[in-house]
Amino acid sequence: MALETPPARGPVADAAAQAGLLVVFAARTARAGVRAVLGRRLAWRECLEQCWFLAAVSALPAVLMTIPLGVLVAVNIGSLAGQLGAEGYAGAVVAFVVVGQAAPLVCALMISGVGGSAICADLGSRKLREETEAMEVMGLSTVERLVVPRVLAAVVVTVLLNGVVMAVGIGATLFVHVLLGGSSGGFLATLTAYADPGGFLVAEVKAGVFAVLAALVSAFKGLTARGGPSGLGDAVNEAVVMAFVLVFVANTVLTELHPLLLPPKGEF
Amino acid sequence: MAGPPARAVRRGSARRWRGLGDLLVAFGVQATFHVRAVLAVPRVLVHYRRHVARQVAEISFGSASLFAGGGTIGVIFAMSFVASTQVGLEGYRGLDLIGLTPMSGLMSAMVNTRELAPLVAGVALAAKVGTGFTAQLGAMRISDEIDALESMAVRSLPFLVSTRMAAAFISVVPLYLVGLFASYLATRVAVVVVQGQSGGTYDFYFQLLLSPSDVALSLAKAVVFAMVVTLVHCFYGYYATGGPEGVGRAAGRALRASIVAITFTDMVLTLLFWGLSPSLPALGVR
Repeated sequence: MALETPPARGPVADAAAQAGLLVVFAARTARAGVRAVLGRRLAWRECLEQCWFLAAVSALPAVLMTIPLGVLVAVNIGSLAGQLGAEGYAGAVVAFVVVGQAAPLVCALMISGVGGSAICADLGSRKLREETEAMEVMGLSTVERLVVPRVLAAVVVTVLLNGVVMAVGIGATLFVHVLLGGSSGGFLATLTAYADPGGFLVAEVKAGVFAVLAALVSAFKGLTARGGPSGLGDAVNEAVVMAFVLVFVANTVLTELHPLLLPPKGEF
Repeated sequence: MAGPPARAVRRGSARRWRGLGDLLVAFGVQATFHVRAVLAVPRVLVHYRRHVARQVAEISFGSASLFAGGGTIGVIFAMSFVASTQVGLEGYRGLDLIGLTPMSGLMSAMVNTRELAPLVAGVALAAKVGTGFTAQLGAMRISDEIDALESMAVRSLPFLVSTRMAAAFISVVPLYLVGLFASYLATRVAVVVVQGQSGGTYDFYFQLLLSPSDVALSLAKAVVFAMVVTLVHCFYGYYATGGPEGVGRAAGRALRASIVAITFTDMVLTLLFWGLSPSLPALGVR
């Protein structure tokens, strides 16, 4: 599998070439993934190790990041809703903000920032030590052995992490809401009225899509790294930036698709 | 004197930090690093002016790869624009619940200014500028260039870290204002063009609630975030170990630390600036 980036020909041509290569890389990974699963030769051990690693590095920071966000949501939106005479709707707002936007995005930042840079650094250093070439020479597919398990692990961890983040986010918001003199019953009533399973499902789908994007971009940048420590550093930098921007764009697209695919129930 | 404080900061082996004493040492090393970096900034502005100017250019526009967003300005613009589209759409949905959609301009003036634009700018800075710093400094550390600087009697910490900090301070203001503009624009497009609200009503509430002091405070937030990001990322890069892979891992660790630090700082600053129950003075409530 040759994944060499062509020689530089100006920024626009480079960007186009990279975008094209990334699409090819994604298609290859998807094909390798399907074949590995159907052929029962998925690298389970690698997959489990990656799951454990990603969960270990991203769980605590995700929770640490969610708590202040929950406090902010409660303080800002709760009190503003109160001033507009809509205290009772604080729970509904949390349903929109935490479940709909904040939780998947926190997971996305974690998986593309923390997990993605680790994936990129790992694969990139293997590439620089020519371990990946050695694998190819021995007839082992790097995509199948290294990339597919990482993408799968990222999806599993992010989807699970999303649940944790939602629980922590809602908990923190509820805690501060009550602390500031709000009613927990009203909060929970509007929360459960507006946070339907469809919204939860969309949040989980979002998290999964973000994980696929982040893992693919990081693996791609890692496997095309060159130029020693500074080259690998640049690769990690670019991987993180690309993953962040892609994730933000994907978030908008998925949020827009949500009402089309799952028509919201009740009066919105 | 700024060589790596021996075992205290070997990031690769967290097991050595098991003891409380080790933790304290690590904390002290970090604190010393940050304090020294900040204190050296004024001197750096005098002595390393050209170096700072080069860093400013590199932070704002410079990047070999257009695909990574065409410089920080592009990344901040893109991320703020996309994030604030969500403010428009979700805020519209939330206000629709209580039948107040004409007040959508309020969402833009409040949420974008006070919370979202600074947070997004902070995260974008961390991703683009911060990891870049970690990568540069880490690569220099791995290839012994930092030691070479020291042996040439250049104090590496002011030369490498404080210049970057000064540059971040200088460039964050225009960068952030571009991000803020992008978020106002995006929310307006989402509400007026996508949802079909009246543009005049939107502008009325937007201008009613947008206060200059809020904009100034949100700019202050962005500057603080720039400082936090630079310090955290430079620290991890300056003390990177473990070859090329170590540089990459340091970038990830730095990003994790700085994102958490940004959200915590954001909470503290919000409570500090606007109190526990933020009010909307322009609406005449409270």
